[in-house]
Amino acid sequence: MDTLLQNFWTPTSTDLFWFSPELALVGTIVMLLVVPIIMGKSARTSGRIALFGTVATIVLTLRVAGVVQTQGISGLAPPAAAGMLILDNLAIYFKIVLMLFMAGIIGLWFIGSAEKERNGPEFFVIFAGSALGMVLMAGTLNLLMMAIAIEMASLPSYAIVGFKKRNRAAAEASLKYVVFGGISAAIMLYGISLLYGIFGTLNFAHIAPRAAVMLHEGQNTLILGFALICTLGGILFKIAAVPFHFWCPDVFEGAKIEVTAWLSVSSKAAAIVLLLRLVDAFSVGAVSEGLSAAIFNNLALGLAIIAAITCTWGNFAAYRQRNIKRLLAYSSIAHAGYMLMACSIFMHPGLLGAGYSIGQSPMGAVLVYIMLYAIMNLGVFAVAAMVIWQTGSEDIDAFNGLGRRSAWLAVPMLFCLVSLVGLPPFAGFIGKYWLLLALGEAGTAYASVQSLGTIYWTLIVIAGTNTLISLFFYFRIIKAMFLTDDGQPAFTPSITGATMANLCGIALLVMGVFYIQQPRDMAEKYATHLFQPAAAMTHTMTTTQDVYNEKPNAADPDFRLTTIDHEQEGAQ
Amino acid sequence: MPLLEIGLMHYLILAAAVFSCGVFVMSTKRNAIGILIGIELVLNAVNINFVAFDRYQVVGGCDGQISAVFVIVIAAAEAAVAVAICMNLYKNLNTIDVDRGDSLHG
Repeated sequence: MDTLLQNFWTPTSTDLFWFSPELALVGTIVMLLVVPIIMGKSARTSGRIALFGTVATIVLTLRVAGVVQTQGISGLAPPAAAGMLILDNLAIYFKIVLMLFMAGIIGLWFIGSAEKERNGPEFFVIFAGSALGMVLMAGTLNLLMMAIAIEMASLPSYAIVGFKKRNRAAAEASLKYVVFGGISAAIMLYGISLLYGIFGTLNFAHIAPRAAVMLHEGQNTLILGFALICTLGGILFKIAAVPFHFWCPDVFEGAKIEVTAWLSVSSKAAAIVLLLRLVDAFSVGAVSEGLSAAIFNNLALGLAIIAAITCTWGNFAAYRQRNIKRLLAYSSIAHAGYMLMACSIFMHPGLLGAGYSIGQSPMGAVLVYIMLYAIMNLGVFAVAAMVIWQTGSEDIDAFNGLGRRSAWLAVPMLFCLVSLVGLPPFAGFIGKYWLLLALGEAGTAYASVQSLGTIYWTLIVIAGTNTLISLFFYFRIIKAMFLTDDGQPAFTPSITGATMANLCGIALLVMGVFYIQQPRDMAEKYATHLFQPAAAMTHTMTTTQDVYNEKPNAADPDFRLTTIDHEQEGAQ
Repeated sequence: MPLLEIGLMHYLILAAAVFSCGVFVMSTKRNAIGILIGIELVLNAVNINFVAFDRYQVVGGCDGQISAVFVIVIAAAEAAVAVAICMNLYKNLNTIDVDRGDSLHG
């Protein structure tokens, strides 16, 4: 029985090394609080400390990644116990993407807000706190840790939205956020308490196989379904999927634009990664119990319906918006819908029929889409921020004639917007193509498994239709930039901001034109072995489940034997 | 004396009742503090569930009790942030009625 207290252990220096990226973020928070006491309050200093903290986190993550790649470790857990935190490729991938994005947001803050900011240390303490929560969210399968991590990500987010004190919109936005967030977190905890009662453990890696059996045998489905819906509700709230999306446009409109940019990617991405883990745990659990994919029919249908509605709603509602932040909020809801579509795929090599194999996993498609989405949004928000700071208006009309007024902003904006639509030759197209490909592969693989095949093929049609719908509202901005000119004065954007936007635009163009496969391969590598079966949660990555494993453990004597065998076979 | 034996089911019914009250309060109250009270009720139902399951259902370990402590901490942290945000709203709008805010719509 794995319990929290029995496994109380003193962390060794190795454990702390695995945890060092998070510790770096904690250290950043402490520095942010201590340095102003010694050196006096300065917003720019705080910004630099936060930037340094993100860089340190990235460096430490890369160092940890090196060890994970070569040794393969199970996570920050006492041996022989399923841990509170999982340190795997997925967690590392997410940390790097999130920290790079955070560095971009801090850059944006330096351009526009550093001059006016009077509470720099507080702002960055909250900011880094929410980043820490999101990092933890992406690295756990323990339900209690999940709830705590979601709260750690949410509470600072509530505060950071209402950071502009004398601002009605910000005050209202943060109230709506905290009310909706509090309700969904409370209900999620109720679901978790029921799951704990049903299964007697908080570790989802243990819960998933038994829940799969229950779904298969049809016992306790009412209470299990209620508990799962409550638990998923809390995650879907962070994703802003449709029944839980009401906060999103208001919060995005009320917050400062760099905060909007931060929330638009980070909270959704963290929750999507968490959902991927749960879905994967279910798939692995079903495989370990020898069940077929048919038990996931209802779960997949539920997720697919939510994904389809989220996507469609986001795209339709965006069309009516005139405020650029609201428009981007609905755009982010729609994109969360696309990602949710692929999250509804319960895919595991063991679930496929005999002789059938898939080329790439749906998780890889989602992960690479998260990265591309971060790049696209960083570019769009950088341009939008600079236009808003220049004109003081958040209306789409502020973009009128941007092509003439500041081509250095209009062109990357065009690239990022077309990429958000998902049109070639930009990276958004290949990102969406991979998502649809994953759906298509799942639809083919599960063609004869109840209605799963139909569900996935329907999702492809819905995603395609939505891409067409989204063309209209993204095109409104493009039209304002290049076709509508009402003679607003030209301006020179800040060099840092224009560079950032252009880097994003060029990155999207280059990845799209040359159909660069590396990010996909990388994401594929990071998607492998999302989660280790709890029974085998010791110290190897090369378990039987690890079908895609490509970097075996060189230090492991068994591995050396097998390679020698292979070489001998090759020689024969 | 079966009537006097209090078992898991009693606690679960109590928790479900508190949960329902909380959900009812959250969905009917217009006052932000009222909604916060509803959230606290739901979190207390969670605590009752955790502790009752830990005592009656789960063999070995005390995950439930530890979870309850964490839930209390979560509730406290959330209340602190939420009340601060309510103060901020009151300073700006002179009300903490969640329906009264009208600067954001669309």
